[in-house]
Amino acid sequence: MDLTFTNADNDFRDEVRTWLEANRPREQRPIHDRPAMREYDLAWQQKQAADGWAGISWPTEYGGRGASLIQALIWFEEYGRQGLPGIDACFVGQSHAAPTLMANATAAQKAFHLPKILAGEVIWCQGFSEPDAGSDLASLQTKGEIDGDQLVVTGQKIWTSFADVADWQELLVRTDRDAPKHKGITWVICDMKAPGIEIREIETMDEEHEFCEVFYDEVRIPLSSVVGQVNDGWRVAMSTLSFERGTAFTANQVRLAKVVEDLIEFARRHVGPDGRRAAIEDDEIARRLGQSRAEVAAMRAMTYAGISRSATQGTPGPEGSMIKLYYADLAQRIYVLAFDILGEDGLHFLNRWVPGGWSGSYLYSHAISIGGGTSEIQRNIIGDRVLGLPR
Amino acid sequence: MNLLPSDDQQEIIHVVRSFLAARLPTSSIRDRRHESSCIGNDVWAECGGLGWFGLGLAEDLGGIGYGLTEEALLLREIGRHLASGPFIATILGARVAALAGQSAISQAIVAGEAMVCLAEPRAGAVVAATLSGTFDLLDAPGAMYAVAAVADSAVLLSADSIAHAQTLPSIDPALRLSQVELHDAVPLFCVEATQDPVFLRGTVLVAAMMTGIAEATRDIASQYAKDRHQFGRPIGINQAIKHACADMATRSEAAGSQLLFAALSIDEARGDRDFQATSARVVASHAAIENAAVNVQVHGGIGYTFEHDAHLFVKRARVLDRMLGSSRSHLASLLHMSGS
Repeated sequence: MDLTFTNADNDFRDEVRTWLEANRPREQRPIHDRPAMREYDLAWQQKQAADGWAGISWPTEYGGRGASLIQALIWFEEYGRQGLPGIDACFVGQSHAAPTLMANATAAQKAFHLPKILAGEVIWCQGFSEPDAGSDLASLQTKGEIDGDQLVVTGQKIWTSFADVADWQELLVRTDRDAPKHKGITWVICDMKAPGIEIREIETMDEEHEFCEVFYDEVRIPLSSVVGQVNDGWRVAMSTLSFERGTAFTANQVRLAKVVEDLIEFARRHVGPDGRRAAIEDDEIARRLGQSRAEVAAMRAMTYAGISRSATQGTPGPEGSMIKLYYADLAQRIYVLAFDILGEDGLHFLNRWVPGGWSGSYLYSHAISIGGGTSEIQRNIIGDRVLGLPR
Repeated sequence: MNLLPSDDQQEIIHVVRSFLAARLPTSSIRDRRHESSCIGNDVWAECGGLGWFGLGLAEDLGGIGYGLTEEALLLREIGRHLASGPFIATILGARVAALAGQSAISQAIVAGEAMVCLAEPRAGAVVAATLSGTFDLLDAPGAMYAVAAVADSAVLLSADSIAHAQTLPSIDPALRLSQVELHDAVPLFCVEATQDPVFLRGTVLVAAMMTGIAEATRDIASQYAKDRHQFGRPIGINQAIKHACADMATRSEAAGSQLLFAALSIDEARGDRDFQATSARVVASHAAIENAAVNVQVHGGIGYTFEHDAHLFVKRARVLDRMLGSSRSHLASLLHMSGS
């Protein structure tokens, strides 16, 4: 066991840090102007692509950096350390659609889509969840009927982040109603400009408009846009899970560490619950801040342990669910603590993208244990697959 | 960067487990419940013979020459198996004696011929050139020395210094508890933290035992959730039980990962070692105390009995949480340590 990095990896870290410091976006990300936000996120992706940093974990054959596991870890650590937000609108394309295409798509599909994703020309969104298919994703009912060389899609998707600004969608549809639920699903590339698509924004509890519901009324998609085989979509959708092997999550940990340090600084300046001393002078607040620091450290150690396992085993195990669960619980405790430090100022709403936007962050934190698989589903996975409990 | 144990380290874990299962089963806690000391001299000497008390001590100081990481692996197993005895105090005592140049004393401790108990200062007690105030003694019967450690320094005391201790009933049947008032007691010798971070190493070893407790209770509760049937099916099917076990696993994973990170931080003399070690202690304490309590709950009525082992984990977790500073004091210091 060791915590050391090789000289080559340390040099790589210096190179990453230098480049990020020189090139990271410095303007505030547009909050309410959706087209401007799209351009902001794409411009940052284009910048990374221009200097050869895009697709850090992508194989070189697809134009990626082809970084080793450790170098990917370093990239995401430094990325988080700069206080950069997530890759947001580019996330689905970069880290989900692209690896799915790499593993399952035809040469023509790859040649058309992968370069555009890498270069920051397009935004992808994800059409998975439905009103009646949330945690139980495989029960999805959006219908896909084959008509000649086309798939005719009718139904509804929900919780689709960035659908309003997306060019393409990775879409799961039911193409066989009679097969067992995991066997009748198809993974298809949907053009978001196709006739018959209607997008409605959903406002979230923190007054954001990132979410949408998407309605499909006999939307015609060429069969050549199916990735993998018809009715093999469940396998295709699950095939991306080992991509990045836990390294991308590192940025969340580093970002959360920075949140805690910012919160400590805030608690030094903000008046405490007694109305006289700084919040950090309050024993309870001080202890909770200390506990948060310790737990963020533990999350980093868990991430390192997970990457160590990935390096040996090749694929991440179900242990990844423990990191996600720990992160969700911890992040929520930290933002509740922030709200408690705010005290009377907690009623003053400030968007989470604004410096000092602790009240907005507190509201947002409710999403962390829901998005990307609820904490309850993570606990099921841990119980079933880590502990081997009966189902 | 690699947080997986090497083959060599796996072998240490394997040997330790085998020995503990054969020579220090949990049943020995009940067998020795009314004995003056919680572990026999013969078994203690065997542990010494295995090199446990000098595992992380440099070879030129009479030790085995491994690092704190290997010691942490050892103590994690000791915690997991609920082996009783002043293991941490003895390891720290041997280290203090060796670093003070007292090789005869150090060698006797390393060999398992001289046991060392822990003298834990209560609030207001002073550990410096002399010791004053109230000290809790953990496993004093049979000990030839006592070790006291605070962030700045660690000292070794002779048995004479603590001769007037008052025996107290112990919450944990695996612990012999007593208390002593010291007035300007002069230690045999002292090691400053600038020379060696004895207290910090002890902090990690306490975290290691707590991690072992968190892991053991996770495993015992999960096994029970598979075996115990109610309403015609295993109780582990129910999410109320399954999710409680999943949380035990997650707390154990956090504690275990941070434990190794902290031990390596000290072995590699990283600038953030204080922060990492204290974090390990805080996270492991939470994992041990929570998991031990949840284990009782998962077992229901049988978990509340003396005959079942569940209570022994609850008690050991609480004892550990009072060793080498309280969780409260560690939390307070965490805000002032530089992280990375």
